[in-house]
Amino acid sequence: MSIEVKNVNKRFGDFVALDDVSVSLPTGQLTALLGPSGGGKSTLLRIIAGLDSADSGSISIEGTEATHLPPQKRNIGFVFQHYAAFKHMSVAKNVAFGLEIRKRPKPEIERKVAELLDLVHLSQFANRLPAQLSGGQRQRMALARALAVEPTVLLLDEPFGALDAKVRKELRDWLRRLHDEVHVTTVFVTHDQEEALEVADEIVVINQGRVEQVGTPDQLYDAPANDFVMSFLGDVTTLGGELIRPHDIEVDVVPGEPGAIEGSVSRVLRIGFEVRLTVLTDEGEVVTVELTRTNARRLGIAEGSRVYLSAVRGATRV
Amino acid sequence: MANHSAAVGRRSPALTWGLRILVVGYLLMLVLWPSWYVVQHTFADGLTGIQTALQDPDVQHALLLTAQVSVLAVLINLVFGVGVSLLLVRYDFPGRRALSALIDLPLSVSPVVVGLALVLVYNGRYGWFGPWLEAHGIQIIFSWPGMVMATCFVALPLIVREVVPVLEELGDDQEQAARSLGASGWQTFSRITVPGIRWAIVYGVVLSLARSLGEFGAVKVVAGNVAGETQTATVLVQQKYQNFEQTTAYSVSFLLAFAAVLCLIVVALLRPKASKESP
Repeated sequence: MSIEVKNVNKRFGDFVALDDVSVSLPTGQLTALLGPSGGGKSTLLRIIAGLDSADSGSISIEGTEATHLPPQKRNIGFVFQHYAAFKHMSVAKNVAFGLEIRKRPKPEIERKVAELLDLVHLSQFANRLPAQLSGGQRQRMALARALAVEPTVLLLDEPFGALDAKVRKELRDWLRRLHDEVHVTTVFVTHDQEEALEVADEIVVINQGRVEQVGTPDQLYDAPANDFVMSFLGDVTTLGGELIRPHDIEVDVVPGEPGAIEGSVSRVLRIGFEVRLTVLTDEGEVVTVELTRTNARRLGIAEGSRVYLSAVRGATRV
Repeated sequence: MANHSAAVGRRSPALTWGLRILVVGYLLMLVLWPSWYVVQHTFADGLTGIQTALQDPDVQHALLLTAQVSVLAVLINLVFGVGVSLLLVRYDFPGRRALSALIDLPLSVSPVVVGLALVLVYNGRYGWFGPWLEAHGIQIIFSWPGMVMATCFVALPLIVREVVPVLEELGDDQEQAARSLGASGWQTFSRITVPGIRWAIVYGVVLSLARSLGEFGAVKVVAGNVAGETQTATVLVQQKYQNFEQTTAYSVSFLLAFAAVLCLIVVALLRPKASKESP
């Protein structure tokens, strides 16, 4: 186990940021710390990095007790949401910083910097200043800079949070491919469940300073431990008093399935290939249902239609 | 300037011109005309006035002393000013706001009061701390240490007030990144923090230097005004003027003003390069 967090507590005044958090993050994997803003995930990452200190509890990195080590002795790479580029240095100098601090020989630094700039596709920008790069390029530079020191673990704090949606998606894929090439233990913080589900090998869901669940994306999506994880990882609605995903509801216009709940469609909303229905059941429940356009057409559903709702087989329900 | 904005309801041209004349006239009467008079009187007889003044050993000594005291005071202020700025911006501690307010005290307190306060504490005969120092062979009042202290005191806020806003705007992201990359505290400071605030430091130093060269009240009280020993250039100007050696007084005044203008020109010349370097 690469990073062991044991019984960590952290308060900011009256606010409990982390409440007795224990978690172990596996070596060589890409792990996401996922949760809503203010849930404590960034604080946990900063405590692992040594940029914040825990009030109590311990951290060990690759078997080394690190609780009281200053950040520069932890051999970590840290990538910040707002890049934290060294504004007065060229891109190449930024990447070389950690190596120069470690007093590596000049030819070695040059070779390594060239290699890393190639890896992040910034070779042609080596002599530019960070201000002359786009947000996505700056973040790739920050990644190269963090990787230059060959860190034991790479920590990323909402690395794509400040980028626009398209660049975000590109960088996300790119991070996944990069990780498959470099294999450094990587932990990244995100509040975007899609990002976590798409990129991570393992997800730690953190809410209100506590770990709600740890597991692979599939485990979390298919077998959420509680309401919170269920609703944070995707859209949910209630059917017969249970949480269920809107696309896990079977719609029928004739009573067939035993135990189906009867209601009438109060609203039909079409979004591209998807049709979203709001159904008012006879028991007074408001249920959201998602189905494909093809299905909706086949059933001939319009506002006011009588429908019978039931959970599909294998649906996740909490 | 007027065509910068095309907003609805622009002022009438007459009002615009009226305001301009008012501002220019104000500056003319308050700054330009009196300064020009000093220049005019200095060079009334060509360069002879300045040459005569510079041959006076008291003038030579006063100018040298002013330069030495100012440079020393600026150096001390530089170290202290940057340190206090870091303390104020990067650390949170009880009394931080009080300290911040205290830094501004020299701007509001009259320099004469500062001088008197220093005399009360460091005076060799009845001062609070002075007799002990004097017993150990250190004389502060009526000597250069006192003059440096007085100058430091009055120039204290100038570097801090330049550096603090820049440090605040810079944030500590870059410093944290440097730490995470293995840099020690000192390496982070010298490689990341200082380059980030260097223009604020240059500005602060120039302002401090200009202020130190021109300091009068505090230094006069502390130094005791002994010609050829503890007399600085500003004090000398006043004395020469009162002794009807006007040409010398004007010449030294001109030199003081010239040094200050030179400082501002140097900064103005350096500044555009900086903005190109870090857009």
